[in-house]
Amino acid sequence: MVASTTRAQTDRMSGDWSFRAEGVTKIYGGTLRANDAITLNVQPGEVYGLLGPNGAGKSTLVKQVIGLLKPTEGRITLGPFDLVADPGAARQLCSYLPQAPMPIDSFRVREVIELTGRIRGGDRAAVRRRAGQLIEALDIGEWATTMGQRLSGGVKRLVGFSMVTVWPGRVVILDEPTNDVDPLRRRLLWDQIRLLGRQGCSVFLVTHNVMEAEKSVDRLAIIANGRLIAEGTPSSLKADDRGHLRLQIMLVPGARTPELPHWISHHVRVGHNLIAAINEVDAAHSIGWAAELIGDGIAEEYALGATTLEDVYIRLTGHVSADDGQQD
Amino acid sequence: MAELAWTPPPAIAPSSTILRSGVPYWLHSYRALIRWHLAGLRMWLSLLASIQILAGAGFVLGIGLFFRHIPATAALFVSTGVPVINLVMIGLILGPQLVADQKLQQSYDFVRALPVPETAAAGAWYTVCLLAGIPAVVVSLVIAEARYGISFTLSPAILPAVLLTAFTGTMIGYGLGHAVPNPTVTRLVTQLFIFAIFGFTPILFPARQLPGWLAAVNWWFPFGHMAVIVRAGLTSGLVHGVGTSYAVVAVWGVIGVVASAWALGRRG
Repeated sequence: MVASTTRAQTDRMSGDWSFRAEGVTKIYGGTLRANDAITLNVQPGEVYGLLGPNGAGKSTLVKQVIGLLKPTEGRITLGPFDLVADPGAARQLCSYLPQAPMPIDSFRVREVIELTGRIRGGDRAAVRRRAGQLIEALDIGEWATTMGQRLSGGVKRLVGFSMVTVWPGRVVILDEPTNDVDPLRRRLLWDQIRLLGRQGCSVFLVTHNVMEAEKSVDRLAIIANGRLIAEGTPSSLKADDRGHLRLQIMLVPGARTPELPHWISHHVRVGHNLIAAINEVDAAHSIGWAAELIGDGIAEEYALGATTLEDVYIRLTGHVSADDGQQD
Repeated sequence: MAELAWTPPPAIAPSSTILRSGVPYWLHSYRALIRWHLAGLRMWLSLLASIQILAGAGFVLGIGLFFRHIPATAALFVSTGVPVINLVMIGLILGPQLVADQKLQQSYDFVRALPVPETAAAGAWYTVCLLAGIPAVVVSLVIAEARYGISFTLSPAILPAVLLTAFTGTMIGYGLGHAVPNPTVTRLVTQLFIFAIFGFTPILFPARQLPGWLAAVNWWFPFGHMAVIVRAGLTSGLVHGVGTSYAVVAVWGVIGVVASAWALGRRG
């Protein structure tokens, strides 16, 4: 007790606002481990990705951060604050955009952003100014006075983002923030997410879209079956795949997965696509093999390219990120 | 660049006293949440108020259509019972249904994660329910006066009676909405409330007109007692045992508060 008080005092004085999760475990019904001993640190200013297939335990983890769920074991702290012991502090210190739709049907866009800013403790003039900046920056001005029920899913998502970040906490948790958002505004949204980081917020980005995360996060954790199975910068996670290439073969609809040559170490099939990792030295063999498949009428086309974070993700989780394909 | 003009709010500026607390925090949250509810219900509030007024007027006038001659006491009971229905309808029936909707649409997590004291959230909702019920109470009483020539004897006791009745109705609904995990069950229970309140509780008529066993059951529930305390504030010499009725209604208010506190403090 004495030790933790001392650390809390030190943190307050030094302004250490690191987020720490230590051994966070959430067990349902005595057996189901939704989170299993997850430990991670996030620094102020970092955009930190939580990646994993549906049901991996990402949302369970962030709900424990915001105080909606209580860990079965483990600690969650933000600077001097114990977020598990004090869910009221967690709600003040963290802003949370859930994956589910926001309850904004009966509100006008600008109004609901400003109201949420007021509820989050912002003063009237500053909230109004910041809401106006967000509306402009996300290019949703044409709907500023529109009722929520008349908005498209993507605009609703942007309004939701504005609501939770108009007066952000030190930790901003965004669960699939880009869902349904059009490609143009998606870029604007990423700009705002990175801006939050530059302003000193720790941003948790929960997603199963690896390609998007690769471009936007400083560091990321991959979670599968409740466990943190990899953590690092996108480049460091790809280091293990250095010297490898990605071979993607589009099979003829209805074709069975062909017998794979021995040099293919792992693969995944999603719909008609067969995605495989190969060693660089096997590139020539692989092209020959793919051409044969096309010649035999099994495949329609193929592509060979550099590995991406997606390939790391596939290797670690057995899933393809955006559509949750199954391992063949 | 507009985006760079934003200076970080105090919430993310390093400080050792960044957590809001105390009375200013409570009042700020209370006011902001009242605005949130009023804005969120704006499409419904005028409709609800109209329905409330029509329902109140309907009860008062409807009885007169059933019977050619209404005994003065019966008219007085109906007229002084309708305000109870007006006062509890939004908090007891609509409130839990709104929470059930949030749970069904999965927006409940966002609402739960808002940084407000739970008591300020409950207080704001109580205030909205009270304000939304009062116009219908006034209209019902005015119509009753005009239709049956009743002159009410308003006493200061009407104030605590109205405040407590609305409080208990709202808190039972609040507890129900938050404590029952399954939204369908919540909806069923609110339907049951409507059925029970209109048909089988001594709100619009004296308890002695119920079969003995049903009157005995009703004694343990707050609705008949709400009618007693409201009636005591509107009439003179019509009801007795007001102290007991206040106590029963207050106990149910506390039950609602405890259920709400338990449900909102629970973290799965």
